[in-house]
Amino acid sequence: MDILASLWDGFAVAALPINLALIVAGCFAGTLIGALPGLGPVNGVAILIPLTFAFGLNPTSSMILLSAVYYGCMYGGRISSILLNIPGDEPAIMTTLDGYPMARKGQAADALAISGVASFIGATLATLGLTLFAPLLANAAIYFGPADYFALYVMAFATIGGISGTDPRKTLLAALLGLMLGTVGLDPSTGVARYTFGSFNLYDGFDPIVALVGLFAISEILFFLEQKVQEGKLVPPGRVFPRLSRVKEGLGASLRGSVIGFVAGILPGAGASLGAVMAYSFEKRLSDKGTFGTGDPRGVAAPEAGNNAASGGALIPMLTLGVPGSGTTAVMLAMLISLNIQPGPLLFERSPDLVWGLVAALYLANFVLLILNLPLIGIFTRVLGLPAWGLMPLIVAISYLGVYAITHAAFDLMVMVGFGVLGFVLRKLDFSLVPVVLGLLLGMDMENNLRRALSISGGDFLVLFQSPIALAIYGVTIAFLGFSLWLSRRGSSAVQAGVGE
Amino acid sequence: MTDRLAGICFFLLAAGYLWLSTGYTASFGDPLGPAIFPRVIGIPAVLLGLALTIWPRHSADWAGPAGLLRQAAALGLLLGYALLLEPLGFVPSTFAAILGLGLLMGAPPARGFLTAGIAAPGLYLLFDRLMGLPLPMVGTWFG
Repeated sequence: MDILASLWDGFAVAALPINLALIVAGCFAGTLIGALPGLGPVNGVAILIPLTFAFGLNPTSSMILLSAVYYGCMYGGRISSILLNIPGDEPAIMTTLDGYPMARKGQAADALAISGVASFIGATLATLGLTLFAPLLANAAIYFGPADYFALYVMAFATIGGISGTDPRKTLLAALLGLMLGTVGLDPSTGVARYTFGSFNLYDGFDPIVALVGLFAISEILFFLEQKVQEGKLVPPGRVFPRLSRVKEGLGASLRGSVIGFVAGILPGAGASLGAVMAYSFEKRLSDKGTFGTGDPRGVAAPEAGNNAASGGALIPMLTLGVPGSGTTAVMLAMLISLNIQPGPLLFERSPDLVWGLVAALYLANFVLLILNLPLIGIFTRVLGLPAWGLMPLIVAISYLGVYAITHAAFDLMVMVGFGVLGFVLRKLDFSLVPVVLGLLLGMDMENNLRRALSISGGDFLVLFQSPIALAIYGVTIAFLGFSLWLSRRGSSAVQAGVGE
Repeated sequence: MTDRLAGICFFLLAAGYLWLSTGYTASFGDPLGPAIFPRVIGIPAVLLGLALTIWPRHSADWAGPAGLLRQAAALGLLLGYALLLEPLGFVPSTFAAILGLGLLMGAPPARGFLTAGIAAPGLYLLFDRLMGLPLPMVGTWFG
């Protein structure tokens, strides 16, 4: 079989010593970042991106590292949900509902084991899904022309904030703001300097890497200073070893949660948080006999399987179409584009090493994470005892040294801080940041496709609506926007805007 | 209503953006020129900004005076860190930044001092010496 042979080659790439080391390091760092309250996968990946550049890692190794961090955060987020009742990151919010009550009853070890196994099941099934479905989608996308890509980008912007229940006008405005920021600099096809206000520093435009470290790492610091520190009380773990019988109780819920989470992950703009919410509510409707919310193992297993599966699903549109489905994959896309790798259907033909090496690495990462999160869980529970005043400033320092190491310019550090303030203000005003990043990232490509399509037609805008593929994509976009408008009218915001993972 | 304010800001920004785009022309080659795309994104932004101003829905809660003061102080520290990283060097500026931010986040002074004192040279050793990222240990002011 084609896929098996490709996957075999992928394992050869993933098994290189440097990549194995990156998998272990990424899983460890990811679990740690996920476990720390307030920091999630977007922040973790954003902080590490400048470092992957500074170390000159090749695109495959960089993707392996960042994906290991992404998966690791999904595992780690549950630790503080269960022990502190404070979600380690957004996708782990649902895990507090039954995880913390279990810990209160002295079953913290059981809850950690159940959620660890559920995470493993969710992430492994999603990786399997990625292996099977991504090549199919990539094959279909080969038939896309310039007008179709333009339509696809419009859909990406229109839908990315979509289902989360925020005001759709704000999602669009955020995307347009990103696009506007993306046009700063020299116009690639004519060399005209746009919106530089005479500053030579701006001729290259805003480096998306610098911008997103500011948006996701620096803005988090300003958010942290907003409120008095949330002091959680660490629940004593109770019994040390989990009971196998309890772990078994969560297996069915894990399987169901994985499927739901995976589908949620593929959907544009949904991401891991929504995967967890959907998996939990489905499980609750299916098997609640009044025990959910009081420490039901199935209520721990379902959302954890859901958010892990969603993170695997979210990689599919990013790799095959070049259109990320969540905040974290948007940030990863930024890195690939900066490394001159254009994700999309051709990626599977041009860089099979990257795609299949990454997929194989994800299988390996799951086993590493299972080990880190079951026998070695003690390391991470101890980290939760560390004070935030010691950890948050370190994150600032690492962001600065990462950005400085790639740009060697104080100007870019100022730009980073500027984007940090922008990110903070936008989030306060209930704007999602992900569309801003997408706009900044995809703007140039979107403009090129628009100009290409229009120069083929001699400037006739109707060409944008003539291809059946483009029309179908616009149809889906309009349906999606209508749906999200209806959702936000009902005022049932399932997930808050937040960082947008 | 913060939505109304945000709407006005977006409206003004997009209007200025559109106005500036009229100055971008290219006489050769590309029949569409560098101004088309800014117009394609600028016009909907003007309309959406207007819509948000007319029909606001959300109002943000800002931090209390103490929180705002902490945020302003942190912003000052962050900007200072960015400006002084080269002149002061990585280790002294990082020490000051970690100490300052730690204190803002409620670190006990002695322990904050100790953390910064270990972390600043520690990060330098880890990233510059061990992993080979070139960082200026002490800056141009001392060199």
